[in-house]
Amino acid sequence: MDSAIRLRGLHKRFGETVAVADLDLDIEPGEFFSMLGPSGSGKTTVLRCIAGFEQPTSGTVELFGADVTALAPFARPVNTVFQDYALFPHLSVIANVEYGLKVAGVARKERRARAEEALGQVRLAGLEDRRPHELSGGQRQRVALARAIVLRPQALLLDEPLGALDLKLREQMQVELKELQRSLGITFVFVTHDQDEALTLSDRVAVFDAGEVVQLGTPREVYDHPRNRFIASFVGSATLLEPEVAEALGLARAPMAVRPERVLLDAPAGGVPGTIAEVIYTGPEHRIVVDLDGLGARITALEPNIGAGHRRTRGDRVTVSVEPASAAPLEDEAA
Amino acid sequence: MTTHRVSAFLAPRRRLRLAGLLTAPVLWLGLVYVVALSALLVTAFWTVDELTGQVQIEWTTENVVEVVTEALYRTVTLRTLGIAALVTVIDVLIAVPVAFFMAKVAGPRLRHLLVIAVLAPLWASYLVKVYSWRALLSSDGIIEWVLSPFGLHTPGYGIIGVVLALSYLWLPYVIMPIYAGFDRVPDRLLEASADLGGRGWRTLTAVVLPMIRPAIIAGSIFAFSLSLGDYITTGIVGGTTQMLGNLVYTNVGAANNLPLAAAISLIPIGIILVYLAAVRRTGALRSL
Repeated sequence: MDSAIRLRGLHKRFGETVAVADLDLDIEPGEFFSMLGPSGSGKTTVLRCIAGFEQPTSGTVELFGADVTALAPFARPVNTVFQDYALFPHLSVIANVEYGLKVAGVARKERRARAEEALGQVRLAGLEDRRPHELSGGQRQRVALARAIVLRPQALLLDEPLGALDLKLREQMQVELKELQRSLGITFVFVTHDQDEALTLSDRVAVFDAGEVVQLGTPREVYDHPRNRFIASFVGSATLLEPEVAEALGLARAPMAVRPERVLLDAPAGGVPGTIAEVIYTGPEHRIVVDLDGLGARITALEPNIGAGHRRTRGDRVTVSVEPASAAPLEDEAA
Repeated sequence: MTTHRVSAFLAPRRRLRLAGLLTAPVLWLGLVYVVALSALLVTAFWTVDELTGQVQIEWTTENVVEVVTEALYRTVTLRTLGIAALVTVIDVLIAVPVAFFMAKVAGPRLRHLLVIAVLAPLWASYLVKVYSWRALLSSDGIIEWVLSPFGLHTPGYGIIGVVLALSYLWLPYVIMPIYAGFDRVPDRLLEASADLGGRGWRTLTAVVLPMIRPAIIAGSIFAFSLSLGDYITTGIVGGTTQMLGNLVYTNVGAANNLPLAAAISLIPIGIILVYLAAVRRTGALRSL
């Protein structure tokens, strides 16, 4: 079976700047695929090359086995949900959703029925005659989604679609996006700089840095086994251990990353002694920073908030240990 | 320290600050605009002593009745309307592609150059520009020189000359609001239309034109109302053509009948009010 999206040697330069460097990528049918990276890492440029808004400097874009590199956006079997929604301000909600069907020459009656169905799928029935400026951010987001899925694309491209929403709404929309993707059964390509969002939603994540994919895998692979310092610190939080520190903790003598929730304090088997430098209360948990004796290094541990039983304070003496399987060796970097 | 003390004194006194800011401009607007215009309207209902030629404050509707009933005024009004409408259409047809190119196609450097190029004619005197059209249109001018090999001739001085000169004169006033209108259409919307299957023509007619319609109307108000009141261009390149402005001018000057001139000038004011009322619904006045 052909990949839903296949990029080969995709290269994009803007003047002197290389936005995407020789990228090969295969995205499978029905997959929820995230492109995660800081701003300027090239993820949006890749999405725009897939949609056809940008022409790659070199390389090819294949959609479902067909080379579409030379095709205009309107000739590609994908649709886009834009970061700022890009709703047509002079058209009502229903007219926005019907736009693509109208262009495709779908008869009036069927057009209306399909648009209403799409609005139902994004839970936005009853606002058909409103104008975009009369809607809240979350509602506009839903219109943009409905407008894209009403055309029944084989793949949906989403460019930071939740970026403008507040936290509560974002979490709710994450759940709905996931459900929508499952019920439509089509490929979602999701661009985000929010690692939490990427981990929560995706089947696979590609982590971008400086125009390249630095790691590609399931959320678990990327989170538990970050390949280098950049991924370890960009995806979730981690303590980076120098080789000597890793060795003192009973791990291999190599640069390692360890997630705070995998760091154990006062484990029965003992560990490296240290002094608590800081206890930060975050609500669901305590973030505890420990100065390790004689190593000149700090390590962060997480302990769940179990109520009044939690009695650690600044200055307490503790022992620190890390299960060997819980630490991820990092590829040694030139830096 | 004194400025500090003044601002400290004014900071909590909102009304006083407002009064200080607005008194002068409001007085200016009141005197120059409202009083002058009202004086004009009132004058239309006065008379002229036929012997002395002095304006007399003697109330009559004679002038207004004359303007409404006499065939001369109807003919000239229709001619003026026709010229103004034609100038407006020509300017919009030229301005839309030019403004589109400036806002959406040209790079930032070229865009700045084009904005300057469009505005540059406004720095030259109105009279110089009209006289240059007189030279262009004359029987030994450039237009004749270019067209004669094809068996065509310059339109000379007349209605066509007036329309050409007025279209030229008001074009910058039409391009600028339409340019601003195009500039306000985000590129993202063009991409969204393409993404949903819309080709160039569809995107233009279904997304871009509806969005810049208020800007087009705003530009047309300039071209239309400026044409409606013009008399100098007609005098210079119009030959024997007369517009409403010329009738006003004749009555103020040669005929020395200020009340009749005022009555005639009510016609373009009326037309413009009707035009503005018609376009008000479109929301165009908000993008002026």
